[in-house]
Amino acid sequence: MVFTLILTALYNAILAVLIYIAEKKTAFGRIGRKKKQIIIGILFGAMAAFASTSIAGVDIGDGTIMNVRDAAPLCAGLIFGAPAGIIAGIIGGLYRYISAFFGLTGAYTQLACSISTMLAGFIAAALRKFMFDDKKPGWIYGLGIGMICEVIHMLMIFFTNANDPSTAFGFVKVCSLPMMLCNGFSVGAAVLVISLLGKDRDAVQFGKRHISRTFQTWLFICIVVAYVLTSTYTYMLQSQMSNTETETVIKTSIDDVNQDIQDTSDENLLNKTNLIKSDYIASNNKSEEFLQSLADKYNVAEIHIIDDNGIIVNTNVPHYIGFDMASGEQSAEFLVLLDGTHKSFAQEYRPQSYDSSVAYKYGGVALQGGGFLQVGYDASEFRADIDSTVKKIATNRHIGENGFIVICDEEWNIVSEGTDYTGYNLASLGIWVDTEKYAENTIFSTEFNGKPYLGEYEFAEGYYIVGVIGEEEALFMRDVSVYLSSFMEVLIFAALFALVYFLIKKLIIDNLTEVNRALSKITNGNLDVTVDVRDNEEFASLSDDINSTVDTLKRYISEAEARIDAELEFAKQIQSSALPSVFPPYPNRREFDIYAQMDTAKEVGGDFYDFYMLDDSTIAFLIADVSGKGIPAAMFMMKAKTIIKDLAESGLEVNDIFTQANAKLCENNDAGMFVTAWMAIVDLKTGVMSVANAGHNPPVIKRANGEFAYEKQRAGFVLAGMEGLKYRKTEIQLSPGDQIYLYTDGVTEATDKDDGLYGEDRLVDFLNTLADTDVKSICEEVKRDIDRFVGDAPQFDDITMVSFKINFIKGDNKLSFIPGRDAGVAVSDFAQQITSKLDVLPKISSKVSIAIDEIASNIINYSKAKTAEISYSIENDKLNLTFEDDGQPYNPLETEDPDITLSAEERQIGGLGIFMVKKMTESMDYKYENNKNILKLVMALNS
Amino acid sequence: MTIKQTNESEKLTLALSGRLDTVTAPELETVIDTALGGATELCFDFTDLEYISSAGLRVLLKAQKIMNAKGKMTITGVNETIMEVFDITGFVDILTIE
Repeated sequence: MVFTLILTALYNAILAVLIYIAEKKTAFGRIGRKKKQIIIGILFGAMAAFASTSIAGVDIGDGTIMNVRDAAPLCAGLIFGAPAGIIAGIIGGLYRYISAFFGLTGAYTQLACSISTMLAGFIAAALRKFMFDDKKPGWIYGLGIGMICEVIHMLMIFFTNANDPSTAFGFVKVCSLPMMLCNGFSVGAAVLVISLLGKDRDAVQFGKRHISRTFQTWLFICIVVAYVLTSTYTYMLQSQMSNTETETVIKTSIDDVNQDIQDTSDENLLNKTNLIKSDYIASNNKSEEFLQSLADKYNVAEIHIIDDNGIIVNTNVPHYIGFDMASGEQSAEFLVLLDGTHKSFAQEYRPQSYDSSVAYKYGGVALQGGGFLQVGYDASEFRADIDSTVKKIATNRHIGENGFIVICDEEWNIVSEGTDYTGYNLASLGIWVDTEKYAENTIFSTEFNGKPYLGEYEFAEGYYIVGVIGEEEALFMRDVSVYLSSFMEVLIFAALFALVYFLIKKLIIDNLTEVNRALSKITNGNLDVTVDVRDNEEFASLSDDINSTVDTLKRYISEAEARIDAELEFAKQIQSSALPSVFPPYPNRREFDIYAQMDTAKEVGGDFYDFYMLDDSTIAFLIADVSGKGIPAAMFMMKAKTIIKDLAESGLEVNDIFTQANAKLCENNDAGMFVTAWMAIVDLKTGVMSVANAGHNPPVIKRANGEFAYEKQRAGFVLAGMEGLKYRKTEIQLSPGDQIYLYTDGVTEATDKDDGLYGEDRLVDFLNTLADTDVKSICEEVKRDIDRFVGDAPQFDDITMVSFKINFIKGDNKLSFIPGRDAGVAVSDFAQQITSKLDVLPKISSKVSIAIDEIASNIINYSKAKTAEISYSIENDKLNLTFEDDGQPYNPLETEDPDITLSAEERQIGGLGIFMVKKMTESMDYKYENNKNILKLVMALNS
Repeated sequence: MTIKQTNESEKLTLALSGRLDTVTAPELETVIDTALGGATELCFDFTDLEYISSAGLRVLLKAQKIMNAKGKMTITGVNETIMEVFDITGFVDILTIE
């Protein structure tokens, strides 16, 4: 029986595993939750129905099958979800209800079983939803819930059969323990198996949360103690009540019998006494012998005549004469016949006052004129008279349902009729009455037909009256009470447990979880999160405290940020003021233009540029990029900038500057920072540019009348990267109009929102689209193009650019220039440079100036030359001036002289310059060679 | 070159210093165009002018043509070098040099 139940119990676990595997491995796992719940509900409903059948249950008679039906909806609800539980419960319950009509299942518990199966589904659903956060519970919970549902089931059997508690109790007594165990085991096993399969990922663990575990443990202990105490108390109280009840029930029956015997005996004696009295009164003979003859006639032992003083005055037993009836307790009772209240009085069979070793039954009747007549006889004498009556007294008498009452003689032989046991000795039936141990009217235990019985006895008129009742029947009410109250307590305590658990979870655990969730967001840096748990005063206050703490923290942080911002702003100013930022930096230097700009990604950056005149005709400029960004990069940048400038100003070659700067930067470079740098020193007199590159992006150079293109040389290693490195120098001959564009990788590595890089090709292409190649607009336009490219994406790196342009190259004796807009200034400068060197009269130097001015302005304005050059030499007080240009051939000597005699209105302005030069020079010589106009002038310096 | 400009009722005086050459001549031309207005007398003070090139001569010629119609133009403080240029180019006959 147990084996079958255990096997059935495992069906649920097997079904759960099958569904679990189907969910993981097959298409079943991909269907919608609603459908899935319905299917699972139906499967477990079918399982519940199957469990109700005789195949899976144990028949306990009456077609009622003890089974584990309730476990199926519980498994569905607890393991797979509330809807599945409810569906399974309804299906199982309906099947149980309907099948009873067809005799498939027992009718007696039809309603109870149906209701409890449906309830199981709803309970599982409610618990899963409200107690377990829609997760499956731990196996211990499964076990407990399975058992508690069976308690409900048992109570249902009572409630639905309230009019027949005895049958209901019969079911409950047999079923309760095995069904509780099996259902509990079934649900627990299913949950455990699924938990093991799922590695317990989403199971609510018993004691997973510390607080709830402590509460649960103590709550459980308290509840168990309370349960044990109240159950024990109920048991004891009910036992006591049952005993008293049984005692009373038996005693009442015995007393009735006793009274009947007594009445029969009394009636018999008083009849005799009245007959004797009649004979006594009718006769004149009052002698002792006459009384003896009456005694013999009526077969009694004693006849006494008592006077109205209570003294025996006449008797058949002479030694009683003179006995005062008031002297003994037994005899004194007869005195009631003297005061006229009683006409007759019968006493039960008992020891007499005169001699307590002799037991008699006495009766008396009052005599007219005072006194009374008393008759006494012994048991053997009166039993013969009443035996036939007594034998019938116990007939048809029962105690309870299966209890009975018998009358035995003094040897415990049953004399009463109406039972199968008449004539048997009571002891031979197994009922042994130990009169020494048990007094009359006290409960004694015995056995009858192998079952425990309770009994009582009384002794009356020489008979033992014994009543017995089956212990089971006697204690039925107690057992029903104890079972019922135990079940109710289990339910109440389970509900209490669930309620306290739920309240703690809702009021404390859930709130704590919410607070913790918010706090973890806050500690992860999101200070805008607020804690808002307002379920109760304590958590509201906690929330407020946390929020105000966070607010304070936020305020401090923002204050600190503001302070840091201010300091960074200050640092930014220091950094920018360390870089030359006034443009044009050398307004008087027409031979070159330089422009630089830096946009830092943060407040301060690691990029830098620098330029300075090393002497009147030498300019140095550089661009550099320190590894990293922010404050550390900025500090290293200041150091690098200062070191390089110091070295440059000490007159070192550009490669030596880097070599020594590298050595110095390597010292104490614990932070492991480094700098890429590109530096040029340009000799403005010769146009020779010496370049050193320490790992920096190569320059983009536009040759006069050419296009921007990378000038890639082999770069050296970064500065501060490795000690003892030597750097190389590269020399580039610049021509007037050449442009150099330098940048840091913030330009080419500028990133758009799709992570695309700006890149070198785009840079060069863009540079070549620029119409205005002014140093400033080049930088500004490139920056604008980068901004367009980047869009809304953030700037990650500093963007720094330097643009340098050489306009003309003015040597000591030679000026190279581009005949263009600004060339006149260069020529004018060069003319002044020559005249300031000549130690001649102002008139002479003016002529020299005029000559250079006139010829040069002709070249500038009319020759369409791309390059031009003016050089001079002094020989024997003669100044030799040579003009060369690659413009269209033009011989000034062939120009016709203007008519200088015309009036102002008539004068033409052309040709006047050449005419003036002709007048001022000693000789002019022109030739066209190698596509160049070459004009040589000789001017006297001493005339 | 620097140009110092003085207005006295209808007389505009321009005092030039430095060099009046190809580079600076357009500057003088602009000044004359804007400052002349309704002046009937234009006076150049060449005391501090170092030299003059043909570009300068062109401006002077243009100014002379304008002033011939409006009133008169005089040049003062002409040094030896500049006077030689005026000689060579025949400008002494056109200009009023005081």
